[in-house]
Amino acid sequence: METLDPRLKRLDLLTEGESHKEKLDQLPTYEVFVQVKEPRAYRHEGCVHATSREMALIFAKEQFSRRGMCSGIWVVDTRDVMVTDYSENELDIYDKISGSDTAGNTEYTIFHMIKRGTQHKCDGVVMADSPEAALQVAKNRIERKKAVLNAWVVESAKILKTSVEDRSMWETTPKKLFREAIDYKTQEKLNEFKSKQS
Amino acid sequence: MRLEPTKELLYKMADDLLILGHRSSEWIGMGPLLEEDIAFASKAQDKVGQSLAFYELLEALGEEDPDTVAFSRKAENFHNATFVELPNGDFDFSMMRHFLFDNADALRYQMLGDSELEELSHVARKFTGELQYHTLHANEWIKQLGNATPESIERMQNVLDTALPYAFGIFEPSPYEDELISSGVFAGEAALQVRWLEAITVVLNETDLKLPNIEKIAPQYGGRVGQHTEHLQPLLEEMGEVIQTDPKAEW
Repeated sequence: METLDPRLKRLDLLTEGESHKEKLDQLPTYEVFVQVKEPRAYRHEGCVHATSREMALIFAKEQFSRRGMCSGIWVVDTRDVMVTDYSENELDIYDKISGSDTAGNTEYTIFHMIKRGTQHKCDGVVMADSPEAALQVAKNRIERKKAVLNAWVVESAKILKTSVEDRSMWETTPKKLFREAIDYKTQEKLNEFKSKQS
Repeated sequence: MRLEPTKELLYKMADDLLILGHRSSEWIGMGPLLEEDIAFASKAQDKVGQSLAFYELLEALGEEDPDTVAFSRKAENFHNATFVELPNGDFDFSMMRHFLFDNADALRYQMLGDSELEELSHVARKFTGELQYHTLHANEWIKQLGNATPESIERMQNVLDTALPYAFGIFEPSPYEDELISSGVFAGEAALQVRWLEAITVVLNETDLKLPNIEKIAPQYGGRVGQHTEHLQPLLEEMGEVIQTDPKAEW
């Protein structure tokens, strides 16, 4: 008998010998984290499409740091980010995580989201043997002032980071006012236009 | 020291940047992907901004104001290398041009950072940060495209071969070369070209691209003395369209 389960009916499940996996029509995505200035935490800003981590860094620099201050950028392949469930009602996601706290040999970077609608911020690194184990270690060893709504775990070696020498990239000409919206005095022009209309 | 050698140096640097900045801006809305559109727009702004700084130095030396100098000269009074005025062509040529030009320009600024002419060394040092991104961007693209599919490698090799004689034209010796060197204003085009060849070789060695026998390359000189290709004048007319229509226009 045909199932009535809506989840299955919607899914258009695979039949044998047939692949529904479409070839990517876009480049893979990379998650971008920006540090506005030392010693602030790296914060998730968005993602870019790119062919490699190196290209992602090139694009991220213009996408996310062409205006304002920046002291460093990290990029990581979206597929290398392990994402926990979301908790609700200010419950700490770590309350759902149990198991022993066993340190390992691989460094993982932990990002936390504290409030819905805000970005993930880097809250530290832990040593563990798997992303799951990293969460267990983070639960006990990363200090949290507020409940964490959602956590991302990334093997640190998978993150491509700009170096200290790269920082001069952001030391651009201070006179470049034409890059700022304020230089175009839009509001003034708009007001002038409106006064002429009335 | 006389002013002419310095003026000649400033004019050719400023004109290179203005013209290549304009060419870069032509990629806006045409880039192969959104991120690249933004990168080109940004590089275009940087280059035009840098040209302005050099036109301002020229104004301080008694030349006309930057807008007049930028928008009201005929092609034969421009000192840019012909390389930068060539049409964008496909993305392969544009990227190769950026790679060859930006590496030369970054090294030029590094050398001018030590210039005895304080105003010039100050401006040059200010721009090294911007240039760092330009070279990072171009070098990475060359590594990507120079290591990709056979079609990609073949196309990049073709544009490298086409572009090199023009790129050599960047280093067309100035009539004041000896005076600039002896006065410590600039260490000279020949010295720059040696450092440039080293820098681009390092990047090309990380790809499947081959640097042709440079002994056999006939440099495309002439741009520095106002002998341009047919592509410059239409570009200047487009760039000066607003000011030609209404010289008092503000934008």
